[in-house]
Amino acid sequence: MDKITPIRFLKLLGIYAKIDLAWLIRDTKYAIAAITADMISNMSAVSAVFLIAIRFDGIGGMSSDEVLFMMAYSTLVTGLFIIFGNNNNIHVSRIIGRGQLEHMFIQPLPLHVQLMASGFGPFTGCGNFLVGMGLLVVSIQRLSIQVTPSWVLTLFLYLLATMTIIVARSYLVSTMAFYSPVAAEEISSVAIEGTWMLSTFPLSGMPRAIQLSLITILPEGLMAWFPAMALLGRPPLLGAYYPLIFAMLLAAVAAFAFKKGMKYYVTKGSNRYLPYGFRR
Amino acid sequence: MSQKDQTVISRTGSAVSLKGVDKHFLQWQRDNHAKGMLRNLIKPEKKVVRALEDVSFEIEKGEFVAYAGPNGAGKSTTMKLLSGMLIPNAGDIRVFGLSPQKNRRALMHRLGVLFGNRTELWWDHPIIQSFEWKKVVWNIDDSTYRRNLDMVTELLDLGPLLKTFAREMSLGQRMRADLGMMLLHSPELLLLDEPTLGLDVVAKRQMIDFLKKINHEEGVTIMVTSHDMDDLEEMAERMLMISDGKIAYDGGFDGLRKITGDLTRVILSMENGDVPTLDDAHLISAKNGVYEFEVDLGQTTVRDLMRRLSDYDGISDVEIKKAPIEQVIARIYQEWK
Repeated sequence: MDKITPIRFLKLLGIYAKIDLAWLIRDTKYAIAAITADMISNMSAVSAVFLIAIRFDGIGGMSSDEVLFMMAYSTLVTGLFIIFGNNNNIHVSRIIGRGQLEHMFIQPLPLHVQLMASGFGPFTGCGNFLVGMGLLVVSIQRLSIQVTPSWVLTLFLYLLATMTIIVARSYLVSTMAFYSPVAAEEISSVAIEGTWMLSTFPLSGMPRAIQLSLITILPEGLMAWFPAMALLGRPPLLGAYYPLIFAMLLAAVAAFAFKKGMKYYVTKGSNRYLPYGFRR
Repeated sequence: MSQKDQTVISRTGSAVSLKGVDKHFLQWQRDNHAKGMLRNLIKPEKKVVRALEDVSFEIEKGEFVAYAGPNGAGKSTTMKLLSGMLIPNAGDIRVFGLSPQKNRRALMHRLGVLFGNRTELWWDHPIIQSFEWKKVVWNIDDSTYRRNLDMVTELLDLGPLLKTFAREMSLGQRMRADLGMMLLHSPELLLLDEPTLGLDVVAKRQMIDFLKKINHEEGVTIMVTSHDMDDLEEMAERMLMISDGKIAYDGGFDGLRKITGDLTRVILSMENGDVPTLDDAHLISAKNGVYEFEVDLGQTTVRDLMRRLSDYDGISDVEIKKAPIEQVIARIYQEWK
């Protein structure tokens, strides 16, 4: 049995990247249309908040430049989500609900490796990430942030925590698709994207109860606001390490629930199979 | 096969072994009336469907086995159990001595799985892209990949299709491409669930010839399900029949005919307009002076049959042949019902 070494994993990422590039080159018009639509959608969400911040000279104690920094973080997260979630591997309820996990069982790879690699689309998915990087550079300059290696590492850790929370939330709600494949097929996209707008709203100045509920029960505050504040040197309530701890706990709960759902799946089987959405 | 050069597959030993395998599913029962719906809300009614019950059989390496049975008999469930997609409620399953559940990854290097109503191809990409994807995911070494690519391209006539998008191909072309992709890692066992589903006669012919060839020449063990019994008889030497989750028959196709009474067809061409009658024979069709009878050779002998036919005047031609396996199976299915 071949071992999954870092080189082997990079090769897997490489083939998915190649497939993504091939699509961009072959169907350039459609690919550019899709990339542009993604970027416009995200830019309109973040610019709405930013324009309000300019109009009112900041929001809830955050200056307009700090809001711009938060929007940069949010756009980076959206960019990473699109780069690594190209084939429903993050919205996994679609794969489960459509009975398409069986395509994965016949591959000689661990399921988690397949899921981590199969959505990699760095070419068609990079639009928002590049815009986010641009916004980040501009906001760093305007805020005169000292970019040290430890600050970059902290940024990387927060991005990792945010992505972990997104994936864990998706996998946690997606477990419902093991039990109700028809009803829960789209539950991940509803749960994640349905509240995405909320994640771009600066929570500074909001009542503590609202802030607390939005970083615990519905963790939209951890998508951009909390990490941005922490990176600006003003971590909000519960301390700077809170997103990392929350990400680890949520990931553990999601992994437990997903394993349980998988056991149900291989015991009961899926009485549903839909060919659409499989490798398209 | 990561990735030893495997030009000859060992033809001895067990490829597939099932011992006392049970698999059952719970099926929710839904009522169409308000009262029943409310009752279902409080206490859902569930029915246990026994897909497999105490199923045991063995398939040796190099065998070509047909796996047949009526709809819902448990064929696809068996295929899914063998490929690790489901786990059994009881019993032991081994493929090349390995458990499909515990050794799924190792087995997938040695197994090829194809479901007729599904595709493993990348829909919006040319076939060669899917093949390259498979090379990386299965970790197939360059020489094995090149050799197998050349083989499937030639034998399945895939050359003109390699640059075509999967979504732009006909069903027959797509099935050939899927079959070719399945063979790129030199699998030793093929599990084919309805591979001829929806194929026209030419595409079906190509697929059957190809499967027979790799079974004979490469020693690949093949287990195939189909509802087309004529196809199965042409491909396989051994038939496993399943009914209501139990193995109902395991043997050759001729043995199957004997179960239903060694049915034989006698076709008489009459030249004088007479309508022949034969004792112990059942007239199946009469058209343009050609009469087809079904005779049970368990009740009479060929010699006796010929003696009786020689008494008839006006017979211009006699043909005696085996009953079509399709009809034999239909009769068995009817009896099971």
